[in-house]
Amino acid sequence: MTRRLAWLFLLAAAACTEEPTAPGDCPNFCPGGQIVIHDTIFTDIIERDSSFSGYVASFHAAAAAAADLPGVQSRPFFLLRAMITRVQPRATDTTTVPIAIDSSRLRLSIVRRDKNATNLRLRLFQLPLTVDSTSDFASLDPYFSAAVDTVNVSAILAGPAIGDTATIRIWGDTIRTDSAGHIVQIARSDSAVLVYFSLDTLRAPFSVPDSGKLAFGVEVAADSLASIGIGTNESVTNGPVIKWFYHYSVPDTLPAPDSVAHDSSARAPSFDSFVFNPATAALDSNLTVGGVPSARSLFRVAIPKFLHDSIDVVRATAILVPVDTVQGMPIDSFGILARPVLTDLGGKSPLSTATSDWAHVVIHTGFADTVRIELTNMVRTWVADTTRPTAFFLNQSPEATSFTEIRFHSSRNPALRPALQVTYVKRFPFGAP
Amino acid sequence: MRAVGRLGGWAVRVGVLAAVFLTAEPPNRLTAQDSQFGIRGLGTPGKSESVRARSTGGAFAPFDAFSPLIEASLADVHRMSAGVTTGTSWRSIDAGGATSTLRGTRFPALVIAGPLTRRIVIGGGFATYLDRTFGVITHDTIDLRGVPQPITDEITSDGAVTDLRVAAATRLSRLALGLGFHLITGSSRVIATRRFADTLNYRTSSARDEVAYGGAGGSVSALLDVGHDLRFAGWFRSDSKLRADVSGRTVAENDLPLSYGAGVLWRAGAQAGIAGSVAWQKWAGAGPNAHDTFNWSAGAEIGPGGSLFRVGVRGGQLAFGVGTTPTEFGYSAGLGRQFSGGRGRLDLGLERLERKGSGLTERVWTFLLGLTVRP
Repeated sequence: MTRRLAWLFLLAAAACTEEPTAPGDCPNFCPGGQIVIHDTIFTDIIERDSSFSGYVASFHAAAAAAADLPGVQSRPFFLLRAMITRVQPRATDTTTVPIAIDSSRLRLSIVRRDKNATNLRLRLFQLPLTVDSTSDFASLDPYFSAAVDTVNVSAILAGPAIGDTATIRIWGDTIRTDSAGHIVQIARSDSAVLVYFSLDTLRAPFSVPDSGKLAFGVEVAADSLASIGIGTNESVTNGPVIKWFYHYSVPDTLPAPDSVAHDSSARAPSFDSFVFNPATAALDSNLTVGGVPSARSLFRVAIPKFLHDSIDVVRATAILVPVDTVQGMPIDSFGILARPVLTDLGGKSPLSTATSDWAHVVIHTGFADTVRIELTNMVRTWVADTTRPTAFFLNQSPEATSFTEIRFHSSRNPALRPALQVTYVKRFPFGAP
Repeated sequence: MRAVGRLGGWAVRVGVLAAVFLTAEPPNRLTAQDSQFGIRGLGTPGKSESVRARSTGGAFAPFDAFSPLIEASLADVHRMSAGVTTGTSWRSIDAGGATSTLRGTRFPALVIAGPLTRRIVIGGGFATYLDRTFGVITHDTIDLRGVPQPITDEITSDGAVTDLRVAAATRLSRLALGLGFHLITGSSRVIATRRFADTLNYRTSSARDEVAYGGAGGSVSALLDVGHDLRFAGWFRSDSKLRADVSGRTVAENDLPLSYGAGVLWRAGAQAGIAGSVAWQKWAGAGPNAHDTFNWSAGAEIGPGGSLFRVGVRGGQLAFGVGTTPTEFGYSAGLGRQFSGGRGRLDLGLERLERKGSGLTERVWTFLLGLTVRP
């Protein structure tokens, strides 16, 4: 009998699978309460908004803009590090001998370009070694007159890829080239266009007193859409690099004569930046995001109390009205990142590192449409945790890589001030039949 | 000395048994049979019946000490005993041509009783008062920000209102009287979820809470033996308002019904019994979709004491439903078998119910399993 009982209870336990949910035939066979959703545009809860500038300078950017567009010109430039002038041919002998430069190869990386651009050309200019963060467009402009070298990137890209065994062994991948010896290669990792300039000692003179330092400026030209981004040192892998090829004599002991050794050494820039004209306008009463040095805008949101209580936010969208059309080519379109602040300290507020609360939107050049940024996760976090400061920053992403910027109307303009559109579900009336 | 020791052994065994039953499932799972008709009301009223009574259509409930319907029947308990009822239901719903199948396992009733003195028997236990377990899924398209958005709403409730009973009964010759105090308590975990088809822009909204229920009631009942073969039963019960609290705040108060009924049992010889009962419950004041109900049942129990066959039929009305009062009709059958020299009894039952109301038909198969132990 005990065994039978055990089986019966096992049977009952096995039957303990629940399926209580069925499609509802409303309203007759649904709960009396309903899930009620509201959508409200709060036009006056974004307040005390302001812009701050100087976060990222052009020489800290991960790319440098090169452009020749109606109304704006931008030119990257860089100063290469010092090169060795002597070598120690023998490890066991501290005697050094001078090197003689044979040639050099300069690599630039185009990290952003418009594929529709035709006849895209890069011009290389030699600049004085005095270039630094104080250099501006006007001070460097005189040096952009006689090009050291010019390469037609579009023409090379239109040519056939060379992929023979020797090429692959040396370059690691297929290359394209022209009669002047320029090499173009598409990087496997990020599809950047790597442009190699083969320079002789006339175009890249090696000055021993200057320890081989060289400064170059880059100008872009094209039939149209002449706007590209050149990788900088801050991009880690796409910065300019010059490779010096040299030889030196190895003094030998008698009776053997001196021999000649060949070698090469690469140098990255010690400084890189870009200048453009016209320069970024000064901050005004509007809310600026972008530009160089980069500007950010702080938005403080006075979340209504009722949103904190018994409300579930399902969507929240910041509505921002641009002051004007964003300048630039389509390739100059950029992203804007919205990040909540951890503590509201104004322009120096630390920003949240919780990426789930961030929001992103792409700003397209040539349009002046209202910008909508989905802040749903951010606002849900604010509603759930009332101790958090309800403020967020907008910044360009990446910052200071281009002359582009956008300006929004601020709360000082009552008709076009920033607004927050919130879709929320009111608390379900639990307990009522 | 020996009697005291034996009583102590029984008490321990019954206590252990009760503890096992009570801890195996929390009180809010001690629910009865769900129904879609209860969703728009306070819930689905439970059946205060043991497996034995359910197998006879409920007709034997007034005369069965392990059916928590009336208290006077406890007077027939001569030894400390406990009975538990379990049931597994398969329910099909036909709502406007759309059908769905649901299932659930419940522990609707537990009764523990034993003599306090020679004349007075006390008992207690629980039974489902209102089942609050259901789930509803609806699909719709709403206009949000000028764009049609497909949504899916799911509202689920898991729990019940339980009738905790303390009862006493006494037998005065042919008359047995019972008195009961009922603490109506329970809770339900409720979740309301709205999902959007556009998961890129809209987040799922989910609100959850726990609704606590409270109330009280009292009942009186009597059994009258007329001769050796005929027994009549009558009962009356009054309950207070049912209070629903969310986070300590009362969100609703609803009247609970006056209940009364009567039954008759005829012993047709030593191996057969036929019973019938009627019951009224004044649910109409409990809310906008509530109705007064009348229910009837008839059943028979055939066989020697150790092995019984039962059949029954029942009909009546449901307390909640939009529009006209929903009706219920069912039939059932079952077996009962004693073991361990009569110290235990195992009851099996199978019940078929059909409920009909405005726009909805429910058909339910329920497998019932009951165990009664007299240590």
